[in-house]
Amino acid sequence: MPTPDEHENKEAFLKRVREALGRSEPILHTPDHASLKTTPPRQEEKVRTIQAKVEARRPQLIARLAEIAGAASWNVHRVNTVEGAAATVAEIAGRANAKSIVRSAEEVFSRVDVDGALRRRGLSWTVLASGGRRRRSDLKRLAFASDLGITGVTFAIAETGSCVITPRRGVARLTSLAPATLVLIVEAEQVLESLDDFFAITRLGYQRDRGRSPSYFNFISGPSRTADIEQTLTIGVHGPGEVHMVLVGQ
Amino acid sequence: MAEVKTAEFKQASGRAIRNPGIQHALDHVMSHFTEARAAVIEADYGDESWESMRTRAAALKSHTIERLDYYLDLVDKNVRRNGGHVYFADDAAHANRIVLEIAERAGVKRVIKSKSMVSEEMGINPALEGAGIEPVETDLGEYIIQLAGETPFHIIAPAMHKTRQEVSDLFQDWLKTAPTDDIKRLCVIARDALREKFEAADMGISGANFVVAETGTVVLVTNEGNGRMTTSVPRVHVAISGMEKILPAMEDLPLFLRLLPRSATGQRITSYNTFVGGPRAASDEDGPEEFHLILVDNGRLNLLKDEVLREALNCIRCGACLNHCPVYRKIGGHAYGWVYSGPIGAVVTPPMTNTKIARDLPFASTLCGACRDVCPVKIDLPRLLLHLRQRVAEGDGVDGPANGWSERAFARRWYNAVKTRKALESSTRLARMLQRPIVRRGVIRKLPLPLVAGWTKDRDFPALAPKPFRQRWREGLGGD
Repeated sequence: MPTPDEHENKEAFLKRVREALGRSEPILHTPDHASLKTTPPRQEEKVRTIQAKVEARRPQLIARLAEIAGAASWNVHRVNTVEGAAATVAEIAGRANAKSIVRSAEEVFSRVDVDGALRRRGLSWTVLASGGRRRRSDLKRLAFASDLGITGVTFAIAETGSCVITPRRGVARLTSLAPATLVLIVEAEQVLESLDDFFAITRLGYQRDRGRSPSYFNFISGPSRTADIEQTLTIGVHGPGEVHMVLVGQ
Repeated sequence: MAEVKTAEFKQASGRAIRNPGIQHALDHVMSHFTEARAAVIEADYGDESWESMRTRAAALKSHTIERLDYYLDLVDKNVRRNGGHVYFADDAAHANRIVLEIAERAGVKRVIKSKSMVSEEMGINPALEGAGIEPVETDLGEYIIQLAGETPFHIIAPAMHKTRQEVSDLFQDWLKTAPTDDIKRLCVIARDALREKFEAADMGISGANFVVAETGTVVLVTNEGNGRMTTSVPRVHVAISGMEKILPAMEDLPLFLRLLPRSATGQRITSYNTFVGGPRAASDEDGPEEFHLILVDNGRLNLLKDEVLREALNCIRCGACLNHCPVYRKIGGHAYGWVYSGPIGAVVTPPMTNTKIARDLPFASTLCGACRDVCPVKIDLPRLLLHLRQRVAEGDGVDGPANGWSERAFARRWYNAVKTRKALESSTRLARMLQRPIVRRGVIRKLPLPLVAGWTKDRDFPALAPKPFRQRWREGLGGD
C-alpha cells in the first residue's frame, strides 16, 4: 500500500543528483566495484575458503572470542559438553534470582536441554513464541514482564566479541532485548573469525535465495551501555545490562 | 525545520566561552573521547593498518557519491523488493510531510525515536506535535535535551554539556522523581520512564548509519538498545537517511563498522548493530508490519554540485573532528547555530542552509589540520574550509559576496601593496615611517585607525623591524 507520493518524486530527484554530478545519462551497468560484482560461484568459493579456515583454526578462534568478549564486559562461560551448557544456563538463571524467564525456540534447545536443567532447579519459564493458545499480540507483554532471556545465536564473531541474533519463527526480537539479563548459547561451529567472514556468508545467502534471507538481524557485542551523562560509562539502559555467553565445545 | 541561528555565531561563541558550565564540560569530558580513540586505533583489527583502512574508506565513499544516482536507484529497488516503501524528500518540509502522511494512514498516536541527525534538520518533533502525535526521544542524551528543550551539543553525545545535577533536576521536573547525583540511578529512571513509551508506541523513527544498496539494508550503530526497541516494538518503522549514507555492498560493511565506532567513542564495536531489510516476514514472531525509508536531500545537492565540497558527503558522522578541534573545544556545539557543529559543521552548514548568514562558520578554524588527521574517511576539511572562505568572499552564484565593501576595498589595496617586490618595499618603507609614533618595545598595542582598531583589542600587533631583512642581508647580517 504505497502512500500517495511514493515514487512520485523519484525520477526528478535522481535527475537533479545526476546533473549535480555533471552527467546527463543514468549509469546502466553495475559499477566496477569488486564487492558488488562478485558472482555467485566466486562467492561460494570464497565462503568455502572461510569455512575451511574457521574449521582449521577453531580452538584459537574460540579463545579469541572469549578474550575479546570478556574485555567488552560479557560474562563468558566456557563449557565442553551440552550437559555442561544446560547446567550453566540454569545456574546463571538461579543466581540472577529471575522471577520470570523467557526463552526462544532456537534449534540449539534441541541439543542443549535447558528446560531439563531449569526444571531440576525448580525454575519455570515461558517459550516466547506464538502457537497453540499463545497469540503474537501476547508476546510483547510477556517479554516486557520478564527479567531473564535465553536464546541461541546464528553466528559469533571472534574479532568483535559479537553474537549474531536472527529473529524468525520461534525467535522473537524481544527475547534478547527486553529482559535485564541475557544468556546466549554459542556452539563451537558457529564461531567465525571476522566481520569479513560473516558478511561474505550473509551475502551468499542473499545471492542464493533472497526471499528466504532474513530481513532483520542484530549483533550483540556486550551489555547495553551509555555514556550520555558526563561521559561516564554506565551499563544497562534500554537493553540487557547483564550478558552471559555460554560457549559450548572447543 | 530546525531553526538556523548561524548569523549569531560570534555572539554565541562569546557566550559559550564565558559560560563556566560549558567550559568545564569541554575541558573535562572531551578527553574521554580522544583518549579512547587513541587507545583503540592502536589495537589490532586484522592485517590492515588504520591508515590503509582510511584510504580505502575514502575511495569507497567517493566511488559511491560519484555514482549516487545509480546507488539511490538500487536502494529503492531492493528495499521495495523486501516489502518496504521508499520516498525521496527534497527538503525538511517535504520529509516531514511524508512522515505525517505515513503516521496518519497508520493511525499513529505515539512515536518513539532513536537518534537521527537528519530528523534534527527536519525539526520533526514540533511537526509531529502539531499533528497531535507525541514524539519521544529514546537515546538517553537526546531524551535529556528533549526535556530541556535544547538542540544537540555534540553529534554523538548530545547532552554532554549537562551535569548530573542538571539531569536530576530535569527528571525531577518532568518525571517527579527524587533528586540524585548517582548517574546509574539516573539511567534507571530513564529506563523505566522510556519502557512505558516503548511498549505503547505505534511508530518508531530511526536514522541510518549506513544503507546498503545491494540488499536494501539500513544499518544502525548503537549502544543503549533503543535502536533495537525502535525497530522491534512499534508496528510501523520509519528510517530517515541523508541521501549520502549509502554503501554499495554488504561486504563493504566490515571496513566501516571498524572505522566508525573507533573514531566515534573509541570502541572496537558498539554494543548493538541492527540490520533492517524491510518489514517483518509473515512468519516472524514480532517486528514492524510496515517499513518506510525516506532518503533526504535538504541542501545536500548544494554540496554535491561543488566539486570540492562534494568530499564532505563522504562523512560518516563519527564526531572525531569535533573532539579534536581547538575551536569546538572552546565554543562547543550550540554556537554553530544549526544541527552540525565542529569542522564538519562549519563546512556543511553554509551550503546546506545559506552561505551569507553562515559566513562566519568557515572562519571558525585555525586550519591546524587535526580534523583531517583524525577523519576516518580522510576528508580534507581545511581545504574545504579554505574553499568556502573563497566562496564567501567572492560570492558563489547562490549568494552574493558576504563581505562588506570596506573589507573588499582593503583586500584590493593590500593586494596592490604587496603584489611586486617594488610595491612591497615602498609600502613597508611607508609603514615603517607611519608606525614610529605608536610602537612601544617592538609592538603596537593599539592601532589608532577606526577600521582596524578591533584587531588590537585582545592582542598586540608586532611592529615592523626597524631595518628590513633584505637590507641586513646586504650588510652581512650585522646587528641592527
